[in-house]
Amino acid sequence: MRPTLAVLAVVLAVAAGCSAPGSGKEESGNDSGPIKIAVVDAQSGQLSSLGAWELKGARLAVDEWNAAGGVNGRQIQLDVFDDQGDPTIGTNLARKIDSEGYIAMIGTAESAVTIAMSPLLKQAEIPNITSGQSPGLVATKSDFLFLNGPTSTTYDETLAKHIVDQQGIKSIAMITNNGGYGKGEHDAFLKALTSRNVTPVADQVVTADQKDFSAVLTSIRQKNPKVIFLGAEEVESGLIVKQARDLGITSAFAGAAPQGTPVFLDTAGAKNAEGTIVSSPYLSNDIDEASKKFAAAYKAKFNEEAELHGAKAYDGTQILLTALKTSNVATGKPLADAIRATKHDGLLGDFAFDETGVGIFSTSIGIIKGGKLVAAES
Amino acid sequence: MKRLLVVAALGVAAWFLPYGLDSYAIHVVNVILIFAILAIGLGLVMGIAGQVNLSQVAFFGVGAYATAILTTHSGMGFWVAGVLAILATVLMGLVIGTPALRVQSHYLGIVTLGLALAFTNWVTNASLSGGAEGISGITAPTLPGVDLSSEYIYYYLELIVFAVVLGFGLFVVRTALGRRMRAMRDDALAAGALGAEVPMLRMTAFMLASVYGGVAGVLYAGLIRYVAPESFNIANMFLLLAMVIIGGRQSLIGCVVGAVSLALVRELLVDHPTIAQLAYGSVVVLVVVFAPTGLAGLPRRFRAYLDHRRGTRGTAAQLRPFQPYEPEAVSRSTQDQLLRVEGVTKQFRGLKALDDVSLTVSTGEIRGIVGPNGSGKTTLFNVISGLYKPTSGRVIFRGADMTGRAPYRLARAGMARTFQNLRLFGDLTVEENLLVALDRWSTLSAWRYALRPLSVLRRDRALRRSAAEVLERYGLTEFASLAPKSLPYGIQRRVEIARAVAADPALLLLDEPAAGLNGEEVRQLAEIVRSIRDSGRTVIIIEHNMGLVMSLCEQITVLAGGRVIASGTPAEVAVEPAVIEAYLGDSMNTDDLPVPSAGEATR
Repeated sequence: MRPTLAVLAVVLAVAAGCSAPGSGKEESGNDSGPIKIAVVDAQSGQLSSLGAWELKGARLAVDEWNAAGGVNGRQIQLDVFDDQGDPTIGTNLARKIDSEGYIAMIGTAESAVTIAMSPLLKQAEIPNITSGQSPGLVATKSDFLFLNGPTSTTYDETLAKHIVDQQGIKSIAMITNNGGYGKGEHDAFLKALTSRNVTPVADQVVTADQKDFSAVLTSIRQKNPKVIFLGAEEVESGLIVKQARDLGITSAFAGAAPQGTPVFLDTAGAKNAEGTIVSSPYLSNDIDEASKKFAAAYKAKFNEEAELHGAKAYDGTQILLTALKTSNVATGKPLADAIRATKHDGLLGDFAFDETGVGIFSTSIGIIKGGKLVAAES
Repeated sequence: MKRLLVVAALGVAAWFLPYGLDSYAIHVVNVILIFAILAIGLGLVMGIAGQVNLSQVAFFGVGAYATAILTTHSGMGFWVAGVLAILATVLMGLVIGTPALRVQSHYLGIVTLGLALAFTNWVTNASLSGGAEGISGITAPTLPGVDLSSEYIYYYLELIVFAVVLGFGLFVVRTALGRRMRAMRDDALAAGALGAEVPMLRMTAFMLASVYGGVAGVLYAGLIRYVAPESFNIANMFLLLAMVIIGGRQSLIGCVVGAVSLALVRELLVDHPTIAQLAYGSVVVLVVVFAPTGLAGLPRRFRAYLDHRRGTRGTAAQLRPFQPYEPEAVSRSTQDQLLRVEGVTKQFRGLKALDDVSLTVSTGEIRGIVGPNGSGKTTLFNVISGLYKPTSGRVIFRGADMTGRAPYRLARAGMARTFQNLRLFGDLTVEENLLVALDRWSTLSAWRYALRPLSVLRRDRALRRSAAEVLERYGLTEFASLAPKSLPYGIQRRVEIARAVAADPALLLLDEPAAGLNGEEVRQLAEIVRSIRDSGRTVIIIEHNMGLVMSLCEQITVLAGGRVIASGTPAEVAVEPAVIEAYLGDSMNTDDLPVPSAGEATR
């Protein structure tokens, strides 16, 4: 045993004296063959519907470019990776797409996952266009991170501006849930109100999987607000609206993107949802020519209605591919610079990125009328 | 030696592993190591101590979040923050462990699951924890001369920590503390009756699990340098649970194997999201159905299968004769009252199981308690040994009022018992069953594990020597390494008596020790009980075998319908009309009863 131990000790000492492992790293990214782009999104778990929408939007854009001959004659290869909505897996995938030579990444739809991946992608110099909209994304201060939509504060700022400044309504109640999305909405909208010296008449928090809201709604009914702000996902918001009408509450509802979706309308009932004020960068599929064209192509390809998340990913992918074209398929920092320089007239509006990676700074206000979301005349 | 070589080979392989890995693979390995540490912690609390803990992921979260908050908000260095974070996790472990004092099994699972959900809910909503966005920019750990920001170097940090905590875990499992926990897992009642402080043990188990969770959390914060609520969600809890179940929850190595293999499966399937969930679920189901003992149990099952095929059988172990104790030199002329039961009544709702029962047992006596089925004999034992609290009345043991004390306190005061339907620790060997009883240390002194591990090892060696003596005396040496379940009934009975005596009691309570024994075994039993008494212990015996009771006991107390209807020497009791009527029945002729010899009666 003794000689074995001695040999072991020597081997370890030699190993320690040698260079650290992992120092010889080959640079990936060759100039021929397809251009490899990764879509990282939740394809399983609770957030998989977001991930599925986003994948479809990106797929549609890539297929259109490939059909038109690709970028500089090279086809685009789009591969999907499942982050399961888990930041830890996100970091695994950041390493993985780096080692497998992907030059850019689309996704994720989950801010926390994107924030976790951001330092690694920055280190690997892989530009990333995310569908996340948390202000925390901007706070990572990465030159390689871009948002394909406005930040969540923009949604609520625009909404508060419409309700308080333009409509002059000050009697506002809030119902938000204590999940990640609801909490963000709560803080952002409250901040927008506070900056206008408006205090909500009620500020009720419910749980993310609550089904019965009668207690909360009864207490709000006594305050008789003009507008009730909803900070919850589609189905929960729909349930709240339905139960509020059953209790005889006639106030209008207001909210961000989830309140403009067909799921919300179906859950609440078109009649109950009438008059709901929605702040969204993508109000509906027939708001203008570009959206009609996108929605038709989306319907033809996937046989389902297009919606906001697909549109965002479609815009983001268009911007990335345009930047690849203008930069002559650059990688790393030059590609990030090319993305920043890209001006794009997209479905969500005119993209013009600033140094924080945000390209859209306003949303549109829509109102549900006759079971349809239409642009509000301001 | 062979085992040492395997460990050395694994160590060398682990040391050189990074040289063959790219930056992606090393990151995956780093994450897997963290999950392996978590799985060891979960294996300790669930597999070893039998406490259903669905909040391991919350321990993980507390460790990571505390590190994140302390480094970013308070500007502490990583190492200081890490130590404080582990302390915070231990506090959390004690809080989450508290319900285990009241509830067990699936109820405990629900409570701990609720607490885990409460944790993710809190971090999502508290401003201190950064809400849904989490906390980014955690200070990287630094060591002079070493660049820990490189994941390759970080791997070595993790590897060393992993080796230390795995070694510590195995150390715990294989020595006194782990043995006591496994005994508690197999039978909490019997463990308590042998002096294991069950509440303290449960808290210790949760504390151990929380330390592992905290260590993993700190390493996670140092590796990812970002925390968000999603990293600690319930899906990850169930992943951990699956790791422990797949690996084999009663073996820490199994937990590690489970963590590594499941993480690898998950990583392989990441490119195929459409089939990932299905494949991943299938793996779990297949393992649970075809390898219920987990991957760790496979080698043993395989060996058993091979033995079965070959038809090889080991030489059958033989029960050796009992070697009597040296009779105690001091004469037991004292009429000390060792146990006094005063007017004990035990009511179960409408049923009065014991009605004003009083009896006194002197030091050095063999007392028989007889009575028809349902007369309250076992209830009386349960009251005396602390399993039941009497409705009224007092139990005085060695001059102190012990009424309603916890069984382990009575055990520590010098009382030991056997059970009517054997309660051996099924997954421990015969030797370990004895070791649990021989072990008289307080669970509080578990601090020695951290500070004086060598003294723990020394004690363990001494215990094993005593166990060998007990095995030898009871003729059980050849069964030492076997599981009690595999032994014939008569031998199991003997093991249980040996275990009770190994706890070194002043008073030994035997509940129907002759049930199911053949004539020769009953004769051996009588010899053993007499020898135990001769070594200076007092024995109370419940028995239906009248021949045994009449020949063995000096004093007999007869119960019927929860009352004492007679007491006295066997000869006196046997002719008592009330006894004949109540217990023996009208048709019974007293001539059938063996009348004890004069010598027996006066002892």
